[in-house]
Amino acid sequence: MKRRTFTAMALAVTAGLGLSGCAGAAGTAPQAQDGKTTLTVSVWNYAGTPEFKALFDGYEASHPNVHIEPVDILADDYPQKVTTMLAGGDTTDVLTMKNVIDYARYANNGQLQEINNVVDAVGKDKLATLDAFNINGKYYAAPYRQDFWLLYYNKDLFKAAGIDDPKDLTWDKYAEIAKKLSGTAPDGKKVYGTYQHIWRSVVEAISAAQNGKDQNSGDYSYFKDQYTMALDLQKSGASLDYATAKSQKTSYRTMFESGQAAMMPMGTWYIAGLLQAKKDGKANVNWGLAPMPQKDSNGKTTTFGSPTAFAVNKNATHSDEARKFIEWAAGEEGAKAISKVGVVPALQDDAVTDAYFKLDGMPTDTLSKKAFAPDSTALEMPVSDKSAATDKILNQEHDLIMVGEKSVADGIAEMGKRVKSEVLGQ
Amino acid sequence: MTTKTITPAAAPAAAPAPGRGNRKQARRNTLIGWTFILPNFLGFLAFTLIPVLAAFALSFMEWTSFSAPKWVGLANFQRMLASDSFWVALRNTVVYAIGHVPLTMALALLLAMLLNRKLKGIGFFRVAIFFPYITSLVAVAVVWNMLFSPDNGPINQFLHAIGIANAPGWTSSSDWALPAVIITSVWRDMGYYMVLYLAGLQAIPSELYEAAEVDGASAWQRFWNVTIPSLRPTTFFVVVMLTVSSFKVFDLIVVMTNGGPGRSTTVLSQLIYQEGIGEGKFGYSSAISLVLFLIVLTVTVLQFKIQQRRER
Repeated sequence: MKRRTFTAMALAVTAGLGLSGCAGAAGTAPQAQDGKTTLTVSVWNYAGTPEFKALFDGYEASHPNVHIEPVDILADDYPQKVTTMLAGGDTTDVLTMKNVIDYARYANNGQLQEINNVVDAVGKDKLATLDAFNINGKYYAAPYRQDFWLLYYNKDLFKAAGIDDPKDLTWDKYAEIAKKLSGTAPDGKKVYGTYQHIWRSVVEAISAAQNGKDQNSGDYSYFKDQYTMALDLQKSGASLDYATAKSQKTSYRTMFESGQAAMMPMGTWYIAGLLQAKKDGKANVNWGLAPMPQKDSNGKTTTFGSPTAFAVNKNATHSDEARKFIEWAAGEEGAKAISKVGVVPALQDDAVTDAYFKLDGMPTDTLSKKAFAPDSTALEMPVSDKSAATDKILNQEHDLIMVGEKSVADGIAEMGKRVKSEVLGQ
Repeated sequence: MTTKTITPAAAPAAAPAPGRGNRKQARRNTLIGWTFILPNFLGFLAFTLIPVLAAFALSFMEWTSFSAPKWVGLANFQRMLASDSFWVALRNTVVYAIGHVPLTMALALLLAMLLNRKLKGIGFFRVAIFFPYITSLVAVAVVWNMLFSPDNGPINQFLHAIGIANAPGWTSSSDWALPAVIITSVWRDMGYYMVLYLAGLQAIPSELYEAAEVDGASAWQRFWNVTIPSLRPTTFFVVVMLTVSSFKVFDLIVVMTNGGPGRSTTVLSQLIYQEGIGEGKFGYSSAISLVLFLIVLTVTVLQFKIQQRRER
């Protein structure tokens, strides 16, 4: 009798475990609270990416019937996590597209809703790099943020070395003044003329942009000049050695904020971080912006960048509200909201730029303002299903060239050979 | 409370007597046994067995996780055999295993023998050696990366100080990156295997040593003819565990070198991750994992066969 009770109990416990497991997996659908619509938006690192809060607070203030709930995802795992969510039929309304490669993958696999009417409402000509989102005349996402690369420089170090502000630089001139700026600061600290971070884009994406080339082509001879310069800079001690930067996991922020680097090519996302660091008293660097150095001195500025966009999930619970939110976020109001936290909006007009430069701590000289309006901005990586695989190969070979294991010519040849055989299937 | 009632009932099941009543009893006991393992088995089924079987099937398909899988036969395997990256990763994995298994084993045994004595404070040393094993792997990788730093890392500074001019570039050199990872992993794992060997050593009856000593065996002969044979079951277990873990190595390499420089430390499990999770080619990455599984299976079966032959 007692034993039977025990068996029953064990079965009950087992069944209970199974059931509760199911209940946990089912998840909870967003509920309307006190008549409000709850809109869910996938984001990364919510606490450390202030643009999201700025957008959500702004939207909720002007749309009192909507409550926005961020779906926070670890930044490094973002693409993998979103892929898994979509494959599992997740119903998050708005999906943030961290880069155009992921965008192409989701859109081409039919995971996103077409939002041409949203893009038209915002104004096609106003959004920078909207072209990147054009798939056979259809738009599946609208960019709200547009980062591009420019040159940060330390005004005090330039002044101390008696060098003019870096106006209309060519790469040759850039290398020349980097060498002049290197040395020892009055306080005995080592100063590098420039800091070129370990990312391959610092060398490769800028070459592709300024030579008008496609990084998925399998021909990389146009990388040669940039590699030769980058290696020369580290050999002469004008920039931190790649191997050291990599093994020490050097932070580019520390290099610039502590005055160890007089110049640094980097993306505009760093402006927000720099403003914050100065506001918190963690950095005391007197900085300015200059356009990226160019191949020729023809007065035109070509750089590269990548947009960030919002898209509507195919399985969204609230499609209409999601479209309205994107129209607002990519439009004038959203642009103003993110400008206030130092993030560069995709919507470019004079009013937005003016507001941006009024931010507390922003440099206000004309060179910085000029840096903010490049003549053309190429995509960091083309929108293609080949980009992810190419990126991996280019990264591996970049590593070998920069640590000096392969000569520039050999490395470039190997890139072409591997991309052709492993990616393009030739 | 209920356990008390079950113990006497379960006992007769061990020695079932013929008869109808007993058969019924036995079946009931089996049922109870199943009930005990059911919760665990359900988890195993859902999170291990089904995914593993699915991966087997997927290796013959093309699947991007969005659309339905498409049968492609052996195409994934053909692509893999033609891919340079696969062979590089396979070579790196084998080199890692060849370096990691014997080194860890030898050092673990050495440490176990050193620490298998009654000394004041011996517990402290045992804990100290075991410590790396329970330290966060990311912390281990980051600290060793700093130690290996080519210019100002302590290891190369030491090498310079003792007169080695051309110190290795460690993680920044494709020749030395794999040795650097092996050194780190040996340092991390030896404590755990030392504990296994310590247990093995303490199980050897002291009479064997006394008898050998009476027979005039030297320390070396005692080690070779008493310690090593008596430790055979432990050694077998250690070798199997080490081999399996060597072929599966992933985390340490990802944090330390992320497969670089170039592809010089890319191992199979990392390739599986890159191709599958990174690029969404789940069919292809399943094919690589099937090959990795077959390699580990073959090596393990071989080890069991050799062990059986020795025992005969």
